[in-house]
Amino acid sequence: MRFELSEDQQEIQRTARELLAERSSFTQVRAAGEARREDDALWAELRDLGWPGIAVDEAHGGSGLGVIELAAIAEELGRAVAPVPFLGTALAGLVVQHDASDGDRERWLPGLASGELRGAVTLPGDAVPVPGASDEGLVVVAGADGPQLHAPGSGVAVAVDAIDPTRGHGRVTVAGAAPRDGGPGGGLDRATIVVAAELVGVLQRALEATVDYVKDRKQFGVPVGSFQAVKHEAAQMLRDVEVAKVLVANAAWVADAGDQAKLSEAAALAKAAASAAGRRVSAQAIQLHGGIGFTWEADLHWLFKRAQIDAVLLGGAGHHRQRIARYAVPRAAAAV
Amino acid sequence: MDLTFTPEQTAFQEELRTWFAANRPTDPPDDEDAAYQWRRQWQKTLHGAGLAGVHWPKEYGGRGATLSETAIFFEELGRAGAPLPADVLGLLLAGPTLMVWGSQEQKDRLLPTILDAEESWCQGFSEPDAGSDFGAVKTRAVKDGDDWVVTGQKVWTSGAQYAKWCMLVARTGDPAEAGGPAKHKGLTYFVLDMESPGVEVRPLVQITGSPEFNELFLDEVRIPDSAVVGGVGNGWKVALTTLMNERAGLAFFLQVRLRQQLDALVDRAAGAGGTDGVIDDPVVADKIADLHLRTEALRLLAWKGLTAIERYGQPGPEGSLGKWLWSETNQQLVEVAADVFGSEALIDGEPWAYELLRARGNSIEGGTTEIQKNIVAERVLGLPRV
Ligand SMILES: Cc1cc2nc3c(=O)[nH]c(=O)nc-3n(C[C@H](O)[C@H](O)[C@H](O)COP(=O)(O)OP(=O)(O)OC[C@H]3O[C@@H](n4cnc5c(N)ncnc54)[C@H](O)[C@@H]3O)c2cc1C
Repeated sequence: MRFELSEDQQEIQRTARELLAERSSFTQVRAAGEARREDDALWAELRDLGWPGIAVDEAHGGSGLGVIELAAIAEELGRAVAPVPFLGTALAGLVVQHDASDGDRERWLPGLASGELRGAVTLPGDAVPVPGASDEGLVVVAGADGPQLHAPGSGVAVAVDAIDPTRGHGRVTVAGAAPRDGGPGGGLDRATIVVAAELVGVLQRALEATVDYVKDRKQFGVPVGSFQAVKHEAAQMLRDVEVAKVLVANAAWVADAGDQAKLSEAAALAKAAASAAGRRVSAQAIQLHGGIGFTWEADLHWLFKRAQIDAVLLGGAGHHRQRIARYAVPRAAAAV
Repeated sequence: MDLTFTPEQTAFQEELRTWFAANRPTDPPDDEDAAYQWRRQWQKTLHGAGLAGVHWPKEYGGRGATLSETAIFFEELGRAGAPLPADVLGLLLAGPTLMVWGSQEQKDRLLPTILDAEESWCQGFSEPDAGSDFGAVKTRAVKDGDDWVVTGQKVWTSGAQYAKWCMLVARTGDPAEAGGPAKHKGLTYFVLDMESPGVEVRPLVQITGSPEFNELFLDEVRIPDSAVVGGVGNGWKVALTTLMNERAGLAFFLQVRLRQQLDALVDRAAGAGGTDGVIDDPVVADKIADLHLRTEALRLLAWKGLTAIERYGQPGPEGSLGKWLWSETNQQLVEVAADVFGSEALIDGEPWAYELLRARGNSIEGGTTEIQKNIVAERVLGLPRV
C-alpha cells in the first residue's frame, strides 16, 4: 500500500504545475475569458509536449501512459483553469481507445493524440454545455450500447456561450438514456474519472486562495480567518476536497492497475464526490471572500464557473449516487 | 500509487483470517460486567496467539508489527466481527505512552500486565471544568516527602470501574495558573493505582442506560514520586503522546465496522429476509449511496494517512478529518437504520436502538467535532488562533 504518486508521476505533475503557473496565470486566463477565445499558443505548446496523447497507446501515436498520469495533468489544468481544449480531446481519446472499434481507433486516435483533432464526450439525453464540442471536432456520445461517434461536420454540436468563457462549448442533443455502466471497455469510466480529477484541481486552488485571503483580510481588528465560523467553513472545504481527492486517486489507480470489475463503482464514487464538492467548495470560496469574491476582478469566478460545468459533465452527483446505490446492494449481499 | 498488499502482508492477512475463523468468540453476554469479562477473556485469547499487542515492539512482548500490518490486524479484527480487546486504553494509549516516557521500572512493572489483560487502565484527563479545554485541569498534586498527595475530581472516566491503573493528569504547579495562559505548564502525568485509599469511582449512566463511564473522586490520595511519568511539570507533553495514539490503528477497525454495519443495513433495505425493499425508495437509496461513499473515503483516508506517517514520520490531516468524518457518518448510518428498520431501532434493548443512542457520543468522545474542526483549521490550514 502506497497512497501517493510515484516519483515519475510526481515529476509529471510538478512539470505541469510549473509550466501552467507561468503560461496560465489568472491574468492570462482573464485575457482568454474576456475575449472568449482559447489560448492557441498555449494549446500549441501543450501539443508539442504530447499532453493530449499522454494516455493514448503508442501504436496510435500517444505516450501509452495511464489514467493516473492523465488525471495528474487534468488536475493541474483545472487548478490553472487553463483556456485550452484539452479536456474534451483527452476524454474522447479515452472513450475511443477503450470503447470503440478497431477501425474507429485507427481513424480517430492519431488525430486526438496529437491534438490536431479536437474531441468532446457527452451522455445521451444530456443538455449540458459540453467542453470541446464543436462542428470542427469529433463528438462522442457515450450511450448504453457503446459510443456513437459524430465526425467533424456532422452538425451534432451547436456552439453555445457557456458560463465558463475560458474554453469553447457546444450543446449536443441526442436522445437516449445515460448508461448505467461506464462503457463496454471502461472508456467512459476513465473519462468520468478524468473530469473528476480536473474538478479536484479547480477546488484545490479555490481552497488555497480562500485560506490565503482569510489569513490576510482584517475586520474588527483581526484576520477574518480567526473567526470560528470562517475556520469551520474552511475546514469543511478541506474535508470535501480531501474526500474527493482520495476517491479520484483510488479510481485512477483501479483504472490502471486494479480489478476492472470495480472500475465502474470507483468511477461513480469519484465523480459523485467531486461533483458535490465542486459546487460546495467553489461557492464557499466566494462566500468567504465577501464582496470582493463576487467581483469580476477577483478571479474566483473562473474557478466557480469551470466547477459548475465539470460538476454536471458526464453526470452530476445525483446521477452517480443512483449508480452507487445499485453497487452497494450486491456488495452487501456478498458480505453478509 | 499501489493499493495492493505485498506478498508478506497478504500472508499476514491470510494468517489472521485463518486464526479468526478458528477462534471466533461466542456471542457476548447481555450483562455489562459479564460482557467486560468476556472481552477480557478475548484479550487473553489474542495474547495467547501473540496478537494482543501486534503493534508493540518485540522488547515489550509485542509482535513488532509494522504500521501496515497493524492496520491489517485492525481491519481483520473488525471483519471477523470480533470485539476490541477489553483494555484498549492500556494497549493503545497507556502502553505506547509508557514506552516513550516511562522509567525502566514503570515499563517492567506495568507493560506485561497490559498485554495479558491481568490489569486494565482508564484515562483520567477530563474534569467537570476541563473538557475541551483540557489544559485547565484543577486536580491538585502536592509534594509531601516521597509522595504526592492528590485531591480533585475527574469525570467521564470510561472503564474506571474495572481499572487497576489510571493515566492521571494533575496540577503540580501554581493553582492560579489553571485559568491562565501558562495553564499547560504546571501539569504532571501520573500512574495512579486505583486501589489506593481515597479513590472513589461512582458510575455515571449514559443516555443508553448503561454506566460505561464514571466520576472519579480523589481525596488526599497518596501517589509515590516513582509514579510520575516523564518528569514533573511535563504532563502536557506526555498527555499529547497519549492523545496522538488515540486514533492510530483504531481508524482501521472503525472503518471496517462501519462497512459491516452498512452492509447489514443495505442487505436489509434491499429486501433480504422478506422485508420491504426500501432501497427502491429513492430517498433511502440516495442516503445509502452517500454512506457508501463516505465509508469508502474513510478507508482510503486511513491508508493515505498511513502512507504519510511512513513517508514523513508524522500524520497528515487525515487523522482529524477521519475522526470527524467517521463520527458524522456513523451518526447518519444509525439514523438511516432507524428509517429502514423502523420500530426495531426504537425498541429498548434492540441492538440498533443501542447504536442509535451510543452514536451520539461519537462526536464528543476523544475530542468534539468542533475541536476537530479547530484543529484542522489551525494546524492543517494554518488559520490564526485569535
Ligand atoms: C462516551 C464518552 C467517553 C469518554 N471517555 C473519557 C475518558 O475515558 N477519559 C477522559 O478523560 N474523558 C473522556 N470523555 C470526555 C471527553 O473527552 C469530553 O467530553 C470532551 O473532550 C468534551 O468535553 P466536555 O464534555 O467538557 O464538553 P465542553 O468542552 O464543555 O463542550 C461543550 C460544547 O462546546 C463546544 N466547545 C468547547 N470548546 C470549544 C471551542 N474552543 N470551540 C468550539 N466549540 C467548543 C464543544 O464542541 C461542545 O459542543 C468521554 C466522553 C464521552 C462522551
